[in-house]
Amino acid sequence: MAGEVKRIGEYEWELPVDYRPGMRVPGRFFLSETLRKDLEGGALEQLANVATMPGIVKYALAMPDIHWGYGFPIGGVAAFSVDGGVISPGGVGFDINCGVRLLSTPLRVGDLANRRELVERLFQAVPTGVGAKSGLRLSGKELEEVMVRGAAWAVEHGYGVARDLDRCEERGAMAGADPSAVSQKARQRGLPQSGTLGSGNHFLEIQEVREIYDPEAAAAMGVALGGVCVMIHCGSRGLGHQVCTDNLKALEAATRRYGISLPDRQLACAPVTSPEGKAYFGAMAAAANYAWANRQVITDMTRKVFVQLFGIEYGEMPLVYDVAHNVAKREEHVVDGKAVPLCVHRKGATRAFGPGSPGIPKECAAVGQPVIIPGSMGTSSFLLRGTAAAMERTFGSTCHGAGRVTSRTQAKKNLRGQQVRDRLAQAGILVRAASYESIAEEAPEVYKSSLEVVRVVDAVGISKLVARLEPLGVIKG
Amino acid sequence: MPYETLPHTADVRIRVTASGLEQLFSETARAMCDIMAPGCVPGRITREVVVQAEDPVGLLHDFLSELLYLFDAEGLLLCDCRVTLREGEISALCQGELFSREKHAGGAEIKGVSYSGLRIYKEGEDDVLEIIFDV
Repeated sequence: MAGEVKRIGEYEWELPVDYRPGMRVPGRFFLSETLRKDLEGGALEQLANVATMPGIVKYALAMPDIHWGYGFPIGGVAAFSVDGGVISPGGVGFDINCGVRLLSTPLRVGDLANRRELVERLFQAVPTGVGAKSGLRLSGKELEEVMVRGAAWAVEHGYGVARDLDRCEERGAMAGADPSAVSQKARQRGLPQSGTLGSGNHFLEIQEVREIYDPEAAAAMGVALGGVCVMIHCGSRGLGHQVCTDNLKALEAATRRYGISLPDRQLACAPVTSPEGKAYFGAMAAAANYAWANRQVITDMTRKVFVQLFGIEYGEMPLVYDVAHNVAKREEHVVDGKAVPLCVHRKGATRAFGPGSPGIPKECAAVGQPVIIPGSMGTSSFLLRGTAAAMERTFGSTCHGAGRVTSRTQAKKNLRGQQVRDRLAQAGILVRAASYESIAEEAPEVYKSSLEVVRVVDAVGISKLVARLEPLGVIKG
Repeated sequence: MPYETLPHTADVRIRVTASGLEQLFSETARAMCDIMAPGCVPGRITREVVVQAEDPVGLLHDFLSELLYLFDAEGLLLCDCRVTLREGEISALCQGELFSREKHAGGAEIKGVSYSGLRIYKEGEDDVLEIIFDV
């Protein structure tokens, strides 16, 4: 099977359109020789599945962190024409607008003498892990506002500063959110979980900027060598999960109604402009906005801990940027020399708009949109910038993270959480988690090298390296 | 445990074996609770869960999704479900307990039940189910 895959560049591979019957376009993905060794057959099958969907434009794409998911492969990007193309929850995932944000601080590592206390205080401040309950008591009406206004709701209610919104993808709230398309069940799942981190690969990490590759871009984004930063990784919690579940069912019926045949039920979809497609988009945008509010509230909890512990000002922890990595967006891209409206799905992929693109912070207009790539506990995270090459080749998209190489079960079998924690502590990384199991599941060695993944996107040019950050402390679910 | 874990790098993939679809669905619900909250036992809480769908795969998907909803919204762990299957409908009398972070530590939060890789088939006399949970 892998024999049919064609290598068309040093890091670029093609899944030909005759790889499988029903493909409308070829698949394209980016991998180094090293990363190719870990490529799973299941991921390629999923990429081929995406290529069969109606209205797909140019290619079914996958970034170098491609791996086997459900529906789309993780690392998958696909654009559908608004006229005749489809929208699918299988191209977004259960955790709608799972994303990452980076905050900077005026501190340096030497200022963190009481680092263990910092980690413990953050763990106490941010509800974390399975079944964690929110300290927020949102009313039904407030939840409606959150779904429409996203991070702006949080800022207006004292959970941040106005400038935070300038530094969020979509300014922290997608247009077109339709709370009336969000079920009661989704609301009931979301209410107790707003302002909680979740579990699995979600985390809050204290990091140090250890290397700057691009001083001009780093300065524009507001990070400096040796500076302490905080990275927050979480999503739309049960509300988003339920929006996905509800719409899989609704769109399955629509798939039949519109006579679309699909190789995987998880890819259930409807035309972008159909009532069913619009309802999913409206509900998905509402869940995405909930996720932006969620990361904003957690930002507030984090800043307050730093203010108390280090005597800095709340305003001294500006947001560098906030990106979504599971989302479908209405965007305009140039295809064959013509600007066309598209519905771009990014499933485990990050928007990476180049210099001068609309909707990026004005400070970054000349260098490109900041792109944040989290590592895993104990490995490097990276800050990159979006490029013109991304606009031309990947609908303004790049990778989202490292991607696992070892399953959770295998990790728990092979590794003991306590030992992983002690080993990381010896390397200067303090970990506080809700359980030892989650430390074992998320140990650094179960992930691909994040360095190798970003090296490939940098070499291909779909985003360029700006800075490398190393973990100092981690809190996990 | 009547379920085993299959290889899957990103998520949790399991195979459940039972005799008859009703028992198969009941064991899958138990397995899902065990993944989220190890050590959960049927306690004093009972709840009837009814879902409708067109085929067995759809019924199982919707049934497990309903249990996930009850876990997130109400903290209910319904690990012991007596499932009755009719044409296009599951009704289950479920018994369980409330989630406690102390008692049920170490589980994985399941975000959703995926159709990708969801298969129900016969193996000799047994009914077998393979499923991927997004965690």
